[in-house]
Amino acid sequence: MSEDRFEHLLGPYVLGELTDAEKQELERHLESCATCRENLDDVRYAHGTLKTAGGGPPPELKEWVLARVRAEARQSTTAGWKAWLPAAAAVLLIAAVLGFGLLRMVSGPSDGLALTSTSAAPQAGGELRGEQVGENFKVELEAWGLPEPRAGEYYEMWYAREGGERISCGTFQAQKDGHTTVNMSAPASAVAYPEVEVTLEPDDGDPGSSGKVVLKGSLRNLGA
Amino acid sequence: MKRHQRAKRGIGQEVRRAGDEDLIGLVAGGDERALSELYDRYSRPVYATGMRLLGDTQLAEELVQDAFTSVWRSAASFDPSRASFATWLYRIARNRATDLDRRRRVRPRSAGEHGLYALPGGPLPEEAVDAWDVANALSRLPSEHREVLELAYFEDLSQREISRQTGIPLGTIKSRTTAALKRLRQAIASPAPREARGE
Repeated sequence: MSEDRFEHLLGPYVLGELTDAEKQELERHLESCATCRENLDDVRYAHGTLKTAGGGPPPELKEWVLARVRAEARQSTTAGWKAWLPAAAAVLLIAAVLGFGLLRMVSGPSDGLALTSTSAAPQAGGELRGEQVGENFKVELEAWGLPEPRAGEYYEMWYAREGGERISCGTFQAQKDGHTTVNMSAPASAVAYPEVEVTLEPDDGDPGSSGKVVLKGSLRNLGA
Repeated sequence: MKRHQRAKRGIGQEVRRAGDEDLIGLVAGGDERALSELYDRYSRPVYATGMRLLGDTQLAEELVQDAFTSVWRSAASFDPSRASFATWLYRIARNRATDLDRRRRVRPRSAGEHGLYALPGGPLPEEAVDAWDVANALSRLPSEHREVLELAYFEDLSQREISRQTGIPLGTIKSRTTAALKRLRQAIASPAPREARGE
């Protein structure tokens, strides 16, 4: 075996990937070759640092991050809906006083609320846009990448606040490709519910949330 | 082929070869592939920082999400004359870890949960520092060297599996792995990794 050949085996050697014969031959060579022993020290050092750096986040997290920025990119290129936004000074004043919830969405500087996926539907994304109509709110939800519900299941959107209290905003079904755009309304009291959730609900007659959240967002983040 | 690897195969070679600072420029222009590449290079040290500072897997994952979303939103504000990408990202991650820890403090801690380590400004535990050193050094290797090391150490592929997956002869993979390890050793020894921690 040539000198170069021995040196090329140092990486597989520290990885434990040499055959017994190759390993014995290399180890015999190392006893007599100071240069290869020096190189082996460098290779071993790098091997050790890579071993300690091995633990990372779960692979699916990357898909979440990319879905989140994709949703933001979609949001920033969506312009047509801006006609929804009322500019009434009275609304801005109320928003400044209350400082949260739907009022921020319809009057704040943000273009809408990007909804992010959860582990229940990592490919999903969504965007919520809205306007105030009298004392109530009209909202448009656009969602994509939603998993196909099983027989009897349906989607439901909620406004939530700390303590687990929720107001249902309405139920809907998605198209087969997981995309949907639905219009819903919410009462004026929904301004006190800054969190938004979309859940997958079983047809079990229970009017409460199943807790199986597929999309979520916080109106607190608008304009932040 | 693993999902992570399939995604990587879809990324153009020019993105794989690009330096960190070139990639952040592409991200500023809305290039999702460039963000994907930066995520591959740096999600490990961000996660390691989260684990060391917050001691909680969920919070560490949230830190990774928030840090890379911030990279996407703030890419245009990155100034390469002031800091390397790794330094910039490290500061984002550290600041966000402080926010996450502050949020956690408003609720009662569960058994075994502890407060934020070493923030703000204190020395970091050694493991977290090493993860940044390695990521920064790896990002400066030629892409073909980086690839064999990532496949061997982060994807747990054998040399034979790497050969099969890349279509490169086994002998070349073996010699390339050795050469890549030697270059990584040199890169870790260079001054850039210390700058990456903002020291």
